Amino acid sequence: MPLLLLSRLGWRNLWRYRRRNLMLFTAIMVAVAGCVLISALIRGYQYDMMDDAIDNLTGNLKVLAPGYRADPSIARGFRVPPAFAPDVPPAELVGWTERVRVPAVVISERETRGVTLIGIDPAEERAISFLGSVAIRGDALAGPDDGRILLGRELARQLDTDVGRRIVVMTQGADGRNREAGFRVAGLYDAAGTAIEKAYAFTGIRPFQALLGTDAVTEISVRLRDDEFGPHADAELRKDLSGLEVLDWRTLEPQAAAMFQLADAAILIWFVVLLLALAFGLVNTLITAVLERVREFGMLRALGMRRGAIVAQVVIESVLIVLAGLAVGIAVGLALVAYFSAGIDLSRWAAGIELAGMRNKLVPHLMWHDVAAVGSLAVALGLFASAYPAWRAVRIEPLDALRR
Amino acid sequence: MSNVVVCRGLSRVYTSNAVPVHALQDVDFDVAEGDFVSLSGPSGSGKSTLLNLIGALDRPTAGRVTVDGVDLATLSDPQLADLRLTKIGFVFQAYNLVPVLSARENVEFIMQLQGIHASERRERALEILHALGIGELAERRPGELSGGQQQRVAVARAVVTRPALLLADEPSANLDSKTTETLLELLRRINLERGVTIVTATHDPIVIRYARRSVQLKDGRIVADARTAAANA
Repeated sequence: MPLLLLSRLGWRNLWRYRRRNLMLFTAIMVAVAGCVLISALIRGYQYDMMDDAIDNLTGNLKVLAPGYRADPSIARGFRVPPAFAPDVPPAELVGWTERVRVPAVVISERETRGVTLIGIDPAEERAISFLGSVAIRGDALAGPDDGRILLGRELARQLDTDVGRRIVVMTQGADGRNREAGFRVAGLYDAAGTAIEKAYAFTGIRPFQALLGTDAVTEISVRLRDDEFGPHADAELRKDLSGLEVLDWRTLEPQAAAMFQLADAAILIWFVVLLLALAFGLVNTLITAVLERVREFGMLRALGMRRGAIVAQVVIESVLIVLAGLAVGIAVGLALVAYFSAGIDLSRWAAGIELAGMRNKLVPHLMWHDVAAVGSLAVALGLFASAYPAWRAVRIEPLDALRR
Repeated sequence: MSNVVVCRGLSRVYTSNAVPVHALQDVDFDVAEGDFVSLSGPSGSGKSTLLNLIGALDRPTAGRVTVDGVDLATLSDPQLADLRLTKIGFVFQAYNLVPVLSARENVEFIMQLQGIHASERRERALEILHALGIGELAERRPGELSGGQQQRVAVARAVVTRPALLLADEPSANLDSKTTETLLELLRRINLERGVTIVTATHDPIVIRYARRSVQLKDGRIVADARTAAANA
């Protein structure tokens, strides 16, 4: 089949019906650019959500004692083997830490609140969780031996306490008896949402273990550079820490994981709906082009062009215009993603976006496989949309066409 | 001299508004190699039908057509397309050039479908365009050419691959008498110098005068078949 000849014919026919094809080209270009930008924004939302879930003291992987999730008490703690470190290549590891995390009651002079009190090594913690990025009024915890307490700003407001004041913490010790101790408020952290500020209070891990009467921890949290490396790290942790549960963030934050998957589906649905709508425009234009050129197709058949070549000519014209719209559409889409790379400020709708689990600033996150998916779908659309017009063209009998 | 076209017992019946129309009835017709034959007759006489059957654009209701030794009834649709591509040149009433290709590219078109190499295609296309007096218009598109010039390009396209048979359906219908004379001189030259067999369906008495054999049809039958004065010229 003379593909070069057919390609030349196809290309020149695009210019022959310049205005009509320009409109179609523009529609394809806008749709593709929209797909690229919208997918990047949805990915931005999706990965914000994942980062928030991981940042929120979860990590990509967490090691827990069996039963701790149902009964999160120090009695479900475990001892970390001496010299333990996750067997993960340094290039893949952001950091890891041990925590003691138990429910507690915090009492100020005026109010009482239930919280999750977490004993941490502040330096390790800052590397892997939201504590590394939040603003703190007063002091951050100085180290694992710091016996002061770090409260969320909202919790401090509810307790009507402040930096430098003392509060009392009641919790259950390793022996099952209640423990009670006074803590001085080192600082108040300002997280993205008030829910976190109300839920978590932090203190140095060692004094906290002493208070609880144990040297056990309740969890090990591991933060990876790439979540794709999770299964490998999971297997290594299971090998080193047999008898313990190793859970990934999807299991620990099922709602966020479900939303993460939903975003994948939303992108696919968006692509299919937009490109399918475009397909009707493409079919319409191609049918018009075929009907206008019945004589021409008849003449080509009369001169000896085979039916297959007629089909190829219609398909090539369709694919050429799709490819042109696709190339420019991707370029425009990438330019738009670059333009919005600093993020789109959503703070005007702060209340609503917190409910939706979004951040104040939506930063597009471009994934090349989404761009490839748009490209593949668009080319498939070009082929699909040309099927009916090509069938119409191939049914043209030369004699009938030449009589017109 | 052998026959390029052999038709035996050729009939073609169309159905128009559920009424059978006998466009061609039991026609026997041969064309000798190198001949220049005009098919004439009133509208509906069957001349275009006969031309279309010879050109493998239509299939007969009854009878057989053989072109250059090939029985068309034995060929499939793609084989008929190949036969039209390799053995038959067409000149249509409305020129029917590809509008997005230049004159040269139109002439090269059939050769390209035949898979002839680019340099040879170009050389042969320019040679025939020059021979037909329109070499300087080679890079113009059909829309930039007059009717006569377009018809010359169509003739060049039809003969450049040296087909066994050139079929021309009312080639002068859209031309003035002067341009018609020029075109017919051209066809006569091609017939005499290149030995191309020509069969043309026409109403035009000038065309009939240039042909070496005149066949007249009426009501789907051949009613006269004679050599013309041109045959002795």
